[in-house]
Amino acid sequence: MNIAVCVKQVIDTEAEKKLDPASWRLDRNVTCILNPYDEYAVEEALRIKEAHGGEVTAVCMGPKKAEDAVRKALAMGADKGVIVTDDALAGSDAQATAYVLAEALKGVEWDLVIFGVRSTDGETGCVPAAVAERLGVPLLSTLAKVEVQGSNISVHRETEQGYVAYECPTPAVISVIKGINEPRYPSMKGIMGAKKKPIDAKDASALSLDTSQVGQSGSKTRVLSARTPEPRKAGEKIEDDGTGAQKIVEFLASQKLV
Amino acid sequence: MSNQSGILVVAEPKDGKLANVTLESITQARALAGGPVSVVVAAAETAPYVAAAGRYGADRVYVVESPEAAVFRPGPFIDVVAAAVAAAEPALILCAGSPDGRDIAAGCAARLGAGLLVDITGLEAKDDGFVTTHPCFGGTVIVDKDATSTPVVATVRPNVFAREEAPKEPEVVNLSVDFAPAGLLAKVLDVVCENLGIVSLEEASVIVAGGRGVGKAENFKLIEELASELGAAVGASRAIVDEGWVPHQIQVGQTGKTVSPQLYIACGISGAIQHAAGMRTAKNIVAINRDPEAAIFNFADYGVVGDLLTIVPALTEEIRKRKAAS
Ligand SMILES: Cc1cc2nc3c(=O)[nH]c(=O)nc-3n(C[C@H](O)[C@H](O)[C@H](O)COP(=O)(O)OP(=O)(O)OC[C@H]3O[C@@H](n4cnc5c(N)ncnc54)[C@H](O)[C@@H]3O)c2cc1C
Ligand SMILES: Nc1ncnc2c1ncn2[C@@H]1O[C@H](COP(=O)(O)O)[C@@H](O)[C@H]1O
Repeated sequence: MNIAVCVKQVIDTEAEKKLDPASWRLDRNVTCILNPYDEYAVEEALRIKEAHGGEVTAVCMGPKKAEDAVRKALAMGADKGVIVTDDALAGSDAQATAYVLAEALKGVEWDLVIFGVRSTDGETGCVPAAVAERLGVPLLSTLAKVEVQGSNISVHRETEQGYVAYECPTPAVISVIKGINEPRYPSMKGIMGAKKKPIDAKDASALSLDTSQVGQSGSKTRVLSARTPEPRKAGEKIEDDGTGAQKIVEFLASQKLV
Repeated sequence: MSNQSGILVVAEPKDGKLANVTLESITQARALAGGPVSVVVAAAETAPYVAAAGRYGADRVYVVESPEAAVFRPGPFIDVVAAAVAAAEPALILCAGSPDGRDIAAGCAARLGAGLLVDITGLEAKDDGFVTTHPCFGGTVIVDKDATSTPVVATVRPNVFAREEAPKEPEVVNLSVDFAPAGLLAKVLDVVCENLGIVSLEEASVIVAGGRGVGKAENFKLIEELASELGAAVGASRAIVDEGWVPHQIQVGQTGKTVSPQLYIACGISGAIQHAAGMRTAKNIVAINRDPEAAIFNFADYGVVGDLLTIVPALTEEIRKRKAAS
């Protein structure tokens, strides 16, 4: 089974997030990492490949430096990469991103596309469903278990109460959550090998993208303003002298919370 | 301006009730619709949901009653919403900020070629549309957005908007929907409920969460007992999820759930930035931690420095006494 994994490069949580007040774009000149959720997606793809054969392609849209995220997927064991980079794509929102990824995926051989459940900077969790809709194939999201049986997949979708089990033929699009597996660390050999694996760099014209649908101007949502909220201040702090529990109840009562 | 008007709320059915976030969305929609407030609901049996939508003041309810809609699947539910959008011609479509709601919203926006505004915590009308507010990067940045075309699809963060009844006899419209074959390819095999009675973390107005400070897996029951006394949901830090003490469904934080309850009680949680990312927007934060320097105290509204193994059971007892007295 051939698998495409969509991987995004995100800004490290610990790095300061700055929005440029002229464009409201994120300053990406800080430490960037492979989106933590996408590590689960790559791992799941590799496990399926190891059990059933096929090729794993990591697909990414992002600036030139996002190639590092693709290299990480290759170092983990993916076979090849596709990266879509173009100035025209900067500032794309979730729908515009989904359009670009769907077009990029049309040039890749896959039976299954695996996404992380959400990106830790965009945080929409909406790209997988939008891509599935554009590709016209079924979507199963937030999966905690995936098994391949022939050309079908059998999966568990997490719910508050437990899970729902589904079966679905491929081609299909899925997204996976933390807990589905334990992502491997790239080995030294993997890291060295990744340097030689092919990454196909594409721009908007190579994919014949309709540029009126991408980038900041092609996005149907726009940022009007951004602000840093008043930082939460430290409230009262007391030392427990045996009355800590009572004091908490008094606080809760004063706030009408009990 | 377009002739689309009013707001369509996509109901999230939950075991015979409407999810709180649906009721919150209807309430908020009523305040600023500038047109009718419609609700669309798909389920195997819809009567209780229609009644609930009326109780919260929906003008019209679009109903799809079908065995295909008994259990959530993105395809058929997107078909339903697309049909309701065609019938209602709303300016704004509000979906639940839940996994199901996100799948519906994203799929619908892609199908309609509409803008998509995700995880809104603020919603205001302006002359030619709406302005929405979004917490970004774990609540460290707040962004206002709008859409450049109508209709626009949005997902609503649970627990942010108020929920108020305003009973009304809604007009009920049965929709007939031809489900697209691709979406029906996913077959439901089984619905498994392992944690019956659990309070939904994202919808909970009170959450009691435990971290590595609970010491060992068995002690987590102290957290559960306090939660049960408060009618609260339980949450956890990643540290103890990774230890295998609790299931990952209850992890709060950057790689877990994002929650905005009225009250978050953090017990034995250091307050690392990745944990804060998922709970910083709670209205009130109470922290119990042995270490006076713990980061959680920098943003807790009320902090107690001490041993949770004695304070948490005492707190459970205090709450129990208080409830008995009232
Ligand atoms: C990419 C990435 C993603 C992450 N995502 C998440 C996430 O989603 N959610 C998350 O929570 N973390 C996440 N983390 C981990 C995060 O950085 C912290 O390591 C984690 O939150 C720590 O959990 P903790 O506070 O329970 O444990 P600790 O940091 O070990 O803190 C335990 C606390 O308990 C206190 N304590 C100990 N004993 C007692 C007692 N008897 N009574 C009272 N207090 C006591 C201690 O003083 C201490 O402050 C992530 C990390 C990375 C790198
Ligand atoms: N620019 C991108 N390039 C590749 N994959 C992406 C991109 N943006 C989002 N994704 C994928 O979509 C998932 C959900 O992202 P989001 O909708 O931004 O929360 C991520 O985990 C990735 O798998």
